Amino acid sequence: MSPDIIRLILQATADTLTMVAVAAGIGTLLGLPLGVFLATSKRGELFAAPFANAVLGALVNATRSTPFIILVVAIIPFTRLLAGTSIGTAAAIVPLTVASTPFIARLIEGAIREVDQGLVEAARSMGATPVQIVRKVLVPEALPAIVLGLTLAIVSLLGFSAMVGAVGGGGLGDLGIRYGYQRFMPDVMAAVVAVLIVLVQTVQSIGDRLARRLNKRLRHA
Amino acid sequence: MNAPLKPDAFRVGIGIPPLPEPIIRFERVGKVFAGRRGQGEVEALAGIDLDVPRGAIVGVIGRSGAGKSTLIRLVNGLERASSGRILIEGEDVTGLSEAGWRARRRTTGMIFQHFNLLSSRTVFDNVALPLEIAGTPKAEITAQVERLLDLVGLADKRERYPAELSGGQKQRVGIARALATGPKVLLCDEATSALDPETTQSILALLKQVNRELGVTILLITHEIPVIKEICDRVAVIEGGRIVEEGDTFSVLTQPRHPTTARFVEAVTGVDLPAHLAGRLRAEPRPGDAAVLRITFTGENATAPVISRLSSIIGVDVNILAGRIDAIAGKPFGSLLVSVPAREPELGAVLGALKNLELKVEVIGHVA
Repeated sequence: MSPDIIRLILQATADTLTMVAVAAGIGTLLGLPLGVFLATSKRGELFAAPFANAVLGALVNATRSTPFIILVVAIIPFTRLLAGTSIGTAAAIVPLTVASTPFIARLIEGAIREVDQGLVEAARSMGATPVQIVRKVLVPEALPAIVLGLTLAIVSLLGFSAMVGAVGGGGLGDLGIRYGYQRFMPDVMAAVVAVLIVLVQTVQSIGDRLARRLNKRLRHA
Repeated sequence: MNAPLKPDAFRVGIGIPPLPEPIIRFERVGKVFAGRRGQGEVEALAGIDLDVPRGAIVGVIGRSGAGKSTLIRLVNGLERASSGRILIEGEDVTGLSEAGWRARRRTTGMIFQHFNLLSSRTVFDNVALPLEIAGTPKAEITAQVERLLDLVGLADKRERYPAELSGGQKQRVGIARALATGPKVLLCDEATSALDPETTQSILALLKQVNRELGVTILLITHEIPVIKEICDRVAVIEGGRIVEEGDTFSVLTQPRHPTTARFVEAVTGVDLPAHLAGRLRAEPRPGDAAVLRITFTGENATAPVISRLSSIIGVDVNILAGRIDAIAGKPFGSLLVSVPAREPELGAVLGALKNLELKVEVIGHVA
């Protein structure tokens, strides 16, 4: 491989990491409160608001059931509004974030619903407010599951980021398609796949290790 | 933090009886749950009248589904009454708002069957949780948590996580946590039901200590008579959402009036004939038969030397078939199955002598 190609691969790796990191970061910032709300707002729950829960739940489902490639094209006006352009790495972050937020919200909702209701009752018996219950009980207790969920979300984002090449977003997927496939350069394709494998493995093992560190349930005296 | 307990602790400490006004009073309290889709309403509690005297340990016993969990949750507003009134320290709390209840809950601790400790927090941080919720300054939290961990005997486990503790240790953490804000009332929801008998004893001893030394009133629910027998001053028996019997523990358990109570009591104080005799028991005596008597001991006369008196004074051979002496609320109680000759005048003399000793005696049958 020529130094130019290697430079391209490095640049594409950096682009992918940027897109995934920013989308996962914003997705978590938006998805965490959304997930907490979805997990606590059905009838009889801490922040009971069944109507809002149903509306947000439907919105989340609608976003999640739209194929990512269609979502990318469908929200181009919105992307242009936010990023000023609809092509390039910065623009690709917008659909990635829009796709990851409901995904992360559902993962966090699931993690929080797994928390033993007895703990919520115990906190209520101490006079905790709903906000205190979320901050001191639900989120800390769900943290190992949340970390595993975010790991899954990041791995999925690495896959999604390969598709934003279709609208001029950069990154490894774009490189693989344009050089590896369209220019018949199997070595570039192989390199792209290899880098992605390494990235996924790294993310997954960091996530697993962190979740295990945070999980105090499995220790034994 | 440590101030609010003083008046009670003072009174109990120097042996003055607790104040007559009950700390918790239920007046005709009912609770109805809205039914699931397509079903009618479910009446969980009806017409509950119950007083919990200040400084006492009161037990509510019932089978699962009898309504006892709902009853205890009415005291800290985790459930709301549908009818009737609940007075806590004379204040009607029935119509309290959620915010009003939150403030109240800080003066009422609660412990649970499955402990409900946060797995992500150390022992120290679990006990600190109610204080964090109440907004207590950090230095005060540290001092209070250390004091409580000493009280429950877990000072050396402060940095451990719940997963590293035994069931009994987890409940000790639960007790320390429930006492963190210096409550006047401790609610125990089947607190020993997940523990083995030995651990149950040690947790009950700790609860008794908390009651005597800190003057904390305890309301507990259980389905286990030994828990009632061991520490409760008063007991209420609940069945189908109603209290069917209520009174001081010794009289309720030794003279149960309701069949439900009798069934609970039988399981621990009942004595049965050995199987080979039970099968041959007949109502009418035949010549040469022995009469089988059940003698029930209560209170002081439980320790009277009954058998030796019968054989030495009246000169009758007394054969002991089965027996058990136990303590209920600290007083001896038990029953004894014996056989004596069924012929007169010996039998009449034995029955007369037992009545003179003020023992309850009953002829349950005859055997050859």
